Amino acid sequence: MSEASTTTVAPEKVELQKGWGGQSVKRREDKRLLQGEGVFVDDIKRHGMGYLHFVRSPYAHAHITRVDVSAAEAVEGVYGTLTGEEVAALTDPFFQISSVPGGNIKDYSLAVGKVRYVGEPVVAVVAETRELARDASELVEVEYEPLPAVVDARKAQDADAPVLHDDAGGNLMWTGLYSWGDFDAAVAESDRVIEIPQLHFHRFNSTPLECDGALVEFNRGVEQWTIHTNNQFPGFAAIMMGPAMKVGLDKLRFVTQDIGGGFGNKITSHPQLVVCCLLARKLNRPIQWTEWRTDFHLSMSHGNERWFHDTQVAVKEDGTLLGFRTKALDDAGAWLRYEPLGGVIWAQVTPGMYRWRHCELDFTQVATNKAPVSPNRGYSRMQHLWFTERVIDIVAHELGLDPVEVRKKNYIRAEEMPYETPNGCVYDSGDYARMLDLALELIDYDAIPVRKAAAKERGKVLGVGIGSTLDSGTNNFGQSRLINPELQFSGNNEVATVKLDIFGEIVVTLGTTPQGQGHETTAAQVVADILNCDLDAVHVRAGHDSYWNSHAGFSGTYASQFAVTGLSAVKGATEMLRDEIFKLASAVFSCEENLLELADGGIRIKENADAFLPFMACGAIINANNAGLPEDLDVTLNCRYVYRPPFQVPDVETKTGNLTLTYAAQLHVAVVEIDPETGWYEIVDYAAVDDCGKRINPQIVEGQVMGATAQAIGAAIHEVYEYDEDGNLLTPNFYDYHVPHALDMPPLATGAIESPSPFTPLGTKGMGEGGGAGIHAVCAAIQDATGVVVTTSHNPYQRVWEMLQETSA
Amino acid sequence: MNVSGERVFDAPRDVVWRVLNDPESMAKTMPGVESFDIHDDRRWTANVKIPLGLGGLKMKVDMEKVEEREPEFAKLAVKGHGVGAMMNMETSFTLGDAPEGGTSMAWSADVKIAGPVGSMGQRVLQPIVNQQVQHVLSALDAQIQQATQSE
Repeated sequence: MSEASTTTVAPEKVELQKGWGGQSVKRREDKRLLQGEGVFVDDIKRHGMGYLHFVRSPYAHAHITRVDVSAAEAVEGVYGTLTGEEVAALTDPFFQISSVPGGNIKDYSLAVGKVRYVGEPVVAVVAETRELARDASELVEVEYEPLPAVVDARKAQDADAPVLHDDAGGNLMWTGLYSWGDFDAAVAESDRVIEIPQLHFHRFNSTPLECDGALVEFNRGVEQWTIHTNNQFPGFAAIMMGPAMKVGLDKLRFVTQDIGGGFGNKITSHPQLVVCCLLARKLNRPIQWTEWRTDFHLSMSHGNERWFHDTQVAVKEDGTLLGFRTKALDDAGAWLRYEPLGGVIWAQVTPGMYRWRHCELDFTQVATNKAPVSPNRGYSRMQHLWFTERVIDIVAHELGLDPVEVRKKNYIRAEEMPYETPNGCVYDSGDYARMLDLALELIDYDAIPVRKAAAKERGKVLGVGIGSTLDSGTNNFGQSRLINPELQFSGNNEVATVKLDIFGEIVVTLGTTPQGQGHETTAAQVVADILNCDLDAVHVRAGHDSYWNSHAGFSGTYASQFAVTGLSAVKGATEMLRDEIFKLASAVFSCEENLLELADGGIRIKENADAFLPFMACGAIINANNAGLPEDLDVTLNCRYVYRPPFQVPDVETKTGNLTLTYAAQLHVAVVEIDPETGWYEIVDYAAVDDCGKRINPQIVEGQVMGATAQAIGAAIHEVYEYDEDGNLLTPNFYDYHVPHALDMPPLATGAIESPSPFTPLGTKGMGEGGGAGIHAVCAAIQDATGVVVTTSHNPYQRVWEMLQETSA
Repeated sequence: MNVSGERVFDAPRDVVWRVLNDPESMAKTMPGVESFDIHDDRRWTANVKIPLGLGGLKMKVDMEKVEEREPEFAKLAVKGHGVGAMMNMETSFTLGDAPEGGTSMAWSADVKIAGPVGSMGQRVLQPIVNQQVQHVLSALDAQIQQATQSE
């Protein structure tokens, strides 16, 4: 039986009781979401709350010479305003991750004295309705003295380039040379050195259905803020906000229930949250902020744009890859809100799927007058893996070899796993060649020559392209020290609590902030398996609340880690609870624990089924009927477990170490048919094969695979944040920024293999960020169809037409 | 955005110069002028409603003549501020004798539009600007004809 499945598979039969893990049980979140009963941040209302609207910069670069809020404040129904000057007086600049020079910049939650990109928040206005706040913000008078702008990262370090941050002394934010192996020796050993002058990975983003937002209350009595927000990494927001606001983290309570998509974009909303906090205190009323879609496009966390210059690839004539050398130039935009971590995150996947041992990458990140970048599904690895995949296809093109054969020759082999990369990362498991075979089978690769001939007869050209990603998950935050050795972060953690309540309810609390990934479902599957009970007996609390001890420093949902960190925490806490249930039953029955077993929602003596203690009785005994229990019975039935992945601190000198724990893999193949007259093309077949180790819920995994494919197709063909030379964003709305619809999706076949991770308690790997594979698959298919080397990740129809014109000229 | 062109008026150079430097005459050439204030012979302010999309774009426009060489060259700095748009423009014109009689005017303008309207981008704004320029030039032609006839 084939391991492949398609999008039209029939629902799998759900078996009762045994073995919940591995089954596609229905997502328990979906009922409330589909019935409109989810609670998103904009659903939360409070008496007397004020609505916040940001006055934003119309200039990419300008001095602010005067701000006058008096006309806006005079409007009836306007509650108040907040200016950059007030922010500078009330808060400290945000902590900077970067070492110097980027570490010297002063970043506040509103522009102070100067604006640096179109859409930057300058003033906040609060009024009794959202519409009034928006109207009143038009009455805020801001005088600007425009300055020249720099929007092309390649010109940011020119002598005459406008400087964004005088504190940094220029537009260079961070630079570092990564060199592993001996590239010069690789050149000496090679038959050829293939040179690639320039490759470009474009600026785009993922698009959550729900924009950023918050409802912030200030409790004056205890001087504590409650921040209902859809920020997806409250642990990070807290360590940014607390020092800036000069308060302890106990004063910042983050609460969330449902989040309408995150993709990493929602990690860096901390500046806006600080503004909400300051206004909640200043105006003594709850503050509600829901971002407008255009504002999201203008200012919220674009994905990293990256150039690769002067690439050299040392190869043998038979296609064996020995090493590469390149210069990466990364465009951070105007502020370092999570950057320059992108300058090291890519190193988790330095060699991609390939066995080359000599890798040198000179990384430079600069500031430009564009929106700040931050994590975006596949963060920084996507850019780098697109680069490595592009190199493979260009090498194959130059050597006249089949890209399939070059890949197979150079893939890290299944039997080499776990595989240590040149920079000390350890790929846990995988079989890339098998994944490729499966993907090619799904698009009927053998029939491609016939289809190419048929397309030609119709005046079209057909091509097939391969793309892969490694979805490295569960970060070792120690990698931040390769950016700034003074940082004191390392490792990772996540927490879960599992308790047995008074009527025997199994209640699970997660530290994560799910945005649609189905955590409630998969957590319940793990718990039910360990306690050998019905799935419906497990209640997983929706959402996140940092106040009640159910979070850890790195809690959140980001960087492909829930299946490892979140579920391992759930597993640990449930096993603690299981052990306590055994201990309690042993005391009640006065028998050895090894004579007991869990079954049917309780615990019993194996040889005497009548001696049965249902969970309800266990919960009641401990919580409500505990007189007379042995004094030394250390049982609370309320268990908290913190999962810590087995990491070491990376070596700052050699820039080596295990930067991440697991490596899920995605292999996509696209077949495109192009009309050479117009450049218009269609993806006529598409296959996506995923390997994320042990799958707890295959249907949820497949949903992530489909979503990642849509992300890829959007980025490859439609989605780009394009700026004009003055720094105006030309694609700030859905008219110009086309996110793929269902009708834009190609015929999609999916397949999966499972290579369980030997490093994680459940054999799982984080997954869901595999979209980069598809971006490259489309690029490679265009190259195969046209014979023209593709050098950019974004290839809309007009670009393909231009390529064909350039070639024919 | 840079726009430039050349136009020949069937009128002597001094008449053309006078019209171009008379704020009241110029006000009549501008699209959608709702009010016009003359501060002195170098600085004027106009409230305009530029026909752009639905409802038009209301803007307060300050103009200042920053350079002048009578009767052949003048340069104006124009700053506009309105809901959804800020405009900065530097425009100049050079007058000369046309080979076949009349006065030639070579003009150019460097227009910068910021704000949401600016995000519409040059591909949208350029045709609108071109259309408005044609209106201005036709109105200017009419003003010059009127001035010629009244002499």
